[in-house]
Amino acid sequence: MKKIIFPLLAVAFILSSCAAARQARANKDTNQFRYEIECAGNAIQGTYLVKVWTYSRSAGIAENQCRKNAVHGVIFKGYGGGQGCVSQRPMAAQPGIENQYKDYFDSFFADGGEFQKYASIMSGTTETVRVGNEYKVGVVVSVRKDDLRKALEAAGILKKLNSGF
Amino acid sequence: MKKSLFTILLALVAVVASAQIKKPELMVVPSDVWCISNGYYTEVENMGIITKVPNYKQALQENMGLKLAIAKLNDLMAEREFPLQSMEQMIKNLEQRRMEDNMTTSKAGNELAESPLDEVARMAKCDIILELSWEVKDFGPKHSLSYILEARDAYTAKSIGAASGTGAPSMTADVDVLLEEAIVANMDNFNLRLQDHFTEMQTIGREITLDIKVFANNAAGIDLETEYNGEELVDVIENWLQLNTIQGRFSRQYSSENVANFTQVRIPVYDERGRAIDANGFTKGLAKYLRQAPYNIPCKVMVKGLGRAVIVLGEK
Repeated sequence: MKKIIFPLLAVAFILSSCAAARQARANKDTNQFRYEIECAGNAIQGTYLVKVWTYSRSAGIAENQCRKNAVHGVIFKGYGGGQGCVSQRPMAAQPGIENQYKDYFDSFFADGGEFQKYASIMSGTTETVRVGNEYKVGVVVSVRKDDLRKALEAAGILKKLNSGF
Repeated sequence: MKKSLFTILLALVAVVASAQIKKPELMVVPSDVWCISNGYYTEVENMGIITKVPNYKQALQENMGLKLAIAKLNDLMAEREFPLQSMEQMIKNLEQRRMEDNMTTSKAGNELAESPLDEVARMAKCDIILELSWEVKDFGPKHSLSYILEARDAYTAKSIGAASGTGAPSMTADVDVLLEEAIVANMDNFNLRLQDHFTEMQTIGREITLDIKVFANNAAGIDLETEYNGEELVDVIENWLQLNTIQGRFSRQYSSENVANFTQVRIPVYDERGRAIDANGFTKGLAKYLRQAPYNIPCKVMVKGLGRAVIVLGEK
């Protein structure tokens, strides 16, 4: 009995370690802006509709990472317009702001972190493309940008429009 | 002990409250090109030249799209805790006040005293004008909407920022829906530019224009070329500006013996006692300086809003 349990536990440990390593790699990719974000159409008031293309060796992880990348992109990257879409500047355009509030953003973008409250995946929009030895997964994400901006204003990261008056 | 602590706290609250910069007032105005292309204008003859002047009241009373656009913009700005002035309400208030003033007489039958300048000053009361225009373009059965929203400083006439674009062509959506979509889609970029302007104002001061004029044949017998200790009055004023503007930022656009125009004058947003000041408060400082010896010049400061001031020298 012991002979069976020990190898099973070892395999489970190795598999979970690999998944954690892949997730860590995906988080690193997000921080290095290794994703693409584009407008996916006009959204309802208070939201942005964006398509995020995420790179990963695991298609599953790439799909999970899309929500994080969408929120990250809206805050730090912005996106281009065209074909009836309006380009948007990043919410936090000041250089170095991500490092300035590193502790806040580390916790905000941690797995299961607060970022989840502001993004939802539009079902049936996933596209997967194999690029070399990894996957490029595109998902349309709705980002609740008004609520996101208010949260960042409350945390003192963004200034309110009427601040100082 | 408790009393003194309470007094200190009260004083601190008062200082913090008074250290707020005066909040600019924003108002949405349909652009001249929109008013004229939609037929909301009156023709005015001025020295033989016919000029088309926008008729805002008619536009606001007759165009539902304009009302919808203004309501949407107000809704979005109120959400950012920056409500807009209502142009329609301002026109109504002006008419109401004019009617009341016309009917007010004293027991002896005298009417209220109001100079033409008072009436002009009452008209212009917003600091940033948001000029709005849109146009529907047809491509066969489809139509799309081109939209421009431009913010302009009412006193310096400088553009603060603009948001513009053409929406995706649609066969089914009506103009009101397309207009609402365009406003919602462009508002964040527009507000970011507005915020950049406010941040700049809080960092390097409020930009104002300052006009110095001279009453003709004034009792003091002075003009801008009158010399004091070998310096012309206009240079005395320029020296004062050099000392009292932020980083000595201003530019003399034009000057003669009767007029001097200073533009891009960057004034501090607080005075030395920490109170918020605007163009009027800043100019009063200059007027006070000129009234003192060795100049002893009587002068009149005229209020033109937060960002423009006029001093007329020679008489009060």
